[in-house]
Amino acid sequence: MSDTPDQPHVLDELPGDLMIWVLIVSELLVFGAGLLAFLGVRAMDPVGFAADQDNLNRVAGAVNTIVLVTSGYCAARAVHTAQHFRAWLSGAMALGAVFLVVKWYEYAEKARHGIGIETSDFFTFYYLLTGFHAMHVFAGLVIFALLMRWPSERNLEGGAMFWHMVDLVWVLLFPIIYLVR
Amino acid sequence: MNTSQLNRAWILLVGLSLGTTLLAQFVPNAGMAFVAMVLVLSALKARVILMDYLCLSQAPGFRGGFTTFLAGFVTLAFVLYAIA
Repeated sequence: MSDTPDQPHVLDELPGDLMIWVLIVSELLVFGAGLLAFLGVRAMDPVGFAADQDNLNRVAGAVNTIVLVTSGYCAARAVHTAQHFRAWLSGAMALGAVFLVVKWYEYAEKARHGIGIETSDFFTFYYLLTGFHAMHVFAGLVIFALLMRWPSERNLEGGAMFWHMVDLVWVLLFPIIYLVR
Repeated sequence: MNTSQLNRAWILLVGLSLGTTLLAQFVPNAGMAFVAMVLVLSALKARVILMDYLCLSQAPGFRGGFTTFLAGFVTLAFVLYAIA
């Protein structure tokens, strides 16, 4: 053992709980592997993937990026503005709900055109990756609702960090699924 | 993280997101340069979220590791795009 009790451990540098970082790294690896697998399969059929991608609503995806990074800003302000945390958290939740409504609109648009998860490899990845991400957004909204009821500095910080992880995944997922062609 | 740092991070994120959107709108025939720029912009956004929203800027021991991960990820993504 090289560390003595009075020497801070390198892990003490990390903001928030260690376990939330374990979750963040795990999610980054899972979504990262999924996105690289998407690009790997795309390499075998770039023309088909480009044709399928043209059915996506890029404007809706771009709007959702701005909605989510703004929601993340509200969540960060909730942690750092203790006396108004409910107002900031409400803003984060409202924008999170907007993200899900836009996503629902996108899925409904695809369904109207007869596009589903089994339509092609592209759409299998599209629904799995964006659907899994949307489930995380929904989980974040549930966490925020719980924080409204049982707020504490530690809980708020953990909830906001979960939300930033959801934000982080989206900014990597959006360009690869919607724009790379 | 103080309020002005958070404000700056948000403005930067919105600016980078708008940059990506404009690029996608005005470059209809995507190619190597377009994809490289889009991936770099997404890595920059991810780095702002890590450093400012998730406060990793206060953890010098981890900043480099996460930045290396992001750089490795977008490089690998670009290689997979380029081999198609």
